[in-house]
Amino acid sequence: MTIHAQPVDTHAELEPSAASEPSALKTLTAPFSAFGSDLYGLYTLLKQTLQAIARGQVDRESLVAQCYSVGNGSVLFITVTMTVLGMIMVVQSGLQTQRVIPELSLLGANIIQLLAREFAPTVCAMMLATRVGAGIAAEIGSMVVTDQVDALRMSGAQPVAYLVVPRFIACVVMLTALTFWSLFVALVAGTFAANTVFDLNVSTFINFSFVGMSDYVVMILKAVVFGMAIPIVSSQRGLTTFGGSEGVGWATTNAVVHSSVAILLLDLLLSIFGYLVFPPL
Amino acid sequence: MSETVRSETPFGLIVPERMGKAVLGIAEQVGGMGVLTGQLVARMLPPRIDRFELIRNMHKMGVRSVGIVSSTALFTGGTIIIQAAPLVVRFGATAIIGWAAGFAMLREVAPLLIALMFSGRVGANNTAELGTMVVTDQLDALRALAIDPISYLILPRVISMIVMLFALNVIGDLVALTGAVIGANALLDVDFALFMDSFLTMLEAWDFVLSMIKSLAFGVMIAITSCYFGLTVTGGAPGVGRAVNSSVVAAAIGIFVMDYFSTFVLK
Repeated sequence: MTIHAQPVDTHAELEPSAASEPSALKTLTAPFSAFGSDLYGLYTLLKQTLQAIARGQVDRESLVAQCYSVGNGSVLFITVTMTVLGMIMVVQSGLQTQRVIPELSLLGANIIQLLAREFAPTVCAMMLATRVGAGIAAEIGSMVVTDQVDALRMSGAQPVAYLVVPRFIACVVMLTALTFWSLFVALVAGTFAANTVFDLNVSTFINFSFVGMSDYVVMILKAVVFGMAIPIVSSQRGLTTFGGSEGVGWATTNAVVHSSVAILLLDLLLSIFGYLVFPPL
Repeated sequence: MSETVRSETPFGLIVPERMGKAVLGIAEQVGGMGVLTGQLVARMLPPRIDRFELIRNMHKMGVRSVGIVSSTALFTGGTIIIQAAPLVVRFGATAIIGWAAGFAMLREVAPLLIALMFSGRVGANNTAELGTMVVTDQLDALRALAIDPISYLILPRVISMIVMLFALNVIGDLVALTGAVIGANALLDVDFALFMDSFLTMLEAWDFVLSMIKSLAFGVMIAITSCYFGLTVTGGAPGVGRAVNSSVVAAAIGIFVMDYFSTFVLK
């Protein structure tokens, strides 16, 4: 079980001195050329992780620890951001609706659908990628640069099964749970904002008439896929760390950025898929 | 030391003590950011900036982020159309989809997401760099050479983050618009002319100005947060990791809160 060494794409960033003269064309095209090899590495890691899960190689103790640090540790952060997001959405879409039609009685119904299909899973996942993705890459990356991963391999433990699998399962389970929580939090905050800013009744605002099973299916699908993307991208960044503690810093930054971009790309694909296969009511 | 203090706390006071510590910690961070802002403003009158550092940082933070910001904006533009589609179809308002998508995109989604990506890429990296310098005593070395770390290291970073997020937001808005046009064409059969017609006639210049004001505010937020957390690192390499994490988290919360107030105040 080997982890494929990735072609080095961050050399230029590690040596910012005179050797790499700033060239706009080079810096603009570099991300795209590295994209292909990254994609193959991600596919390999996902395959190895799923194989390890299928063989039942799950360390239960570290799974519980990871679930706690991914899920419970993020509740406060997610609650704060989702409260503000719910209020922003109500104010913004209320202002926008008022320009077309003067009455806002359907505002709540539309916002609940939009939250379920789009903003609850996506923003929650982006926040989790910031907090958890950075942590995963930093932990695994510092183990790599201090040769602890090689030590694991030498003592017969498989790094993927030991390091990636618990984080993978924890992220999938906890992101799904946190998505439901953020839907609830954003809804409560949005109701409050609608009541204070636009004088909408609670009973008018909370209107589930546009929300059907298909919206929840899209929401859970998104949460599960994002929950798989964050640990895979971040672990891959961590496992391909090189260049000491500075390299760990780069791996951490890249983990956050790459998982966020992955989330946004998957969001677009899943939204198209959801629109065509599970159309909104 | 702290262990003994904790064991002496009566059981009923554990929760209030923790809450008090958290409040004091937040107050300390906000105050520290305020002091740092004051120091930076003092260096600006008259401006004493290291020009080479400024250009180097602008290239590193701005030009190297164009790819990330463009892909973010492209995906976002497409997603907005898909999410707006059921609303537009429900109200039979295909003619105004250009305005509907453009309004939400310019005023809210594009500046917010671009700022979050910028914070993840540039802000986190900035904290890590400054933090590493602090724990290896490089800032003290600068001071020993009579070089002011604030005007040599911090001010160029802060200025280039603010300027570059502003510039990236212009690019991002444009790319997001492209994504929305492609999405509307592919998914809703709205052709380019119809989309641009409602986009150009119904949107006001203020919508674009608001987008830029927001990106300026987010840029200041990210710059101050990431520099502050980088400068106050303690505890070696693990401390740098912790500082990066709390810097990104604080910047995200700050961006969201600031976004709410700017949406609410600058209607």
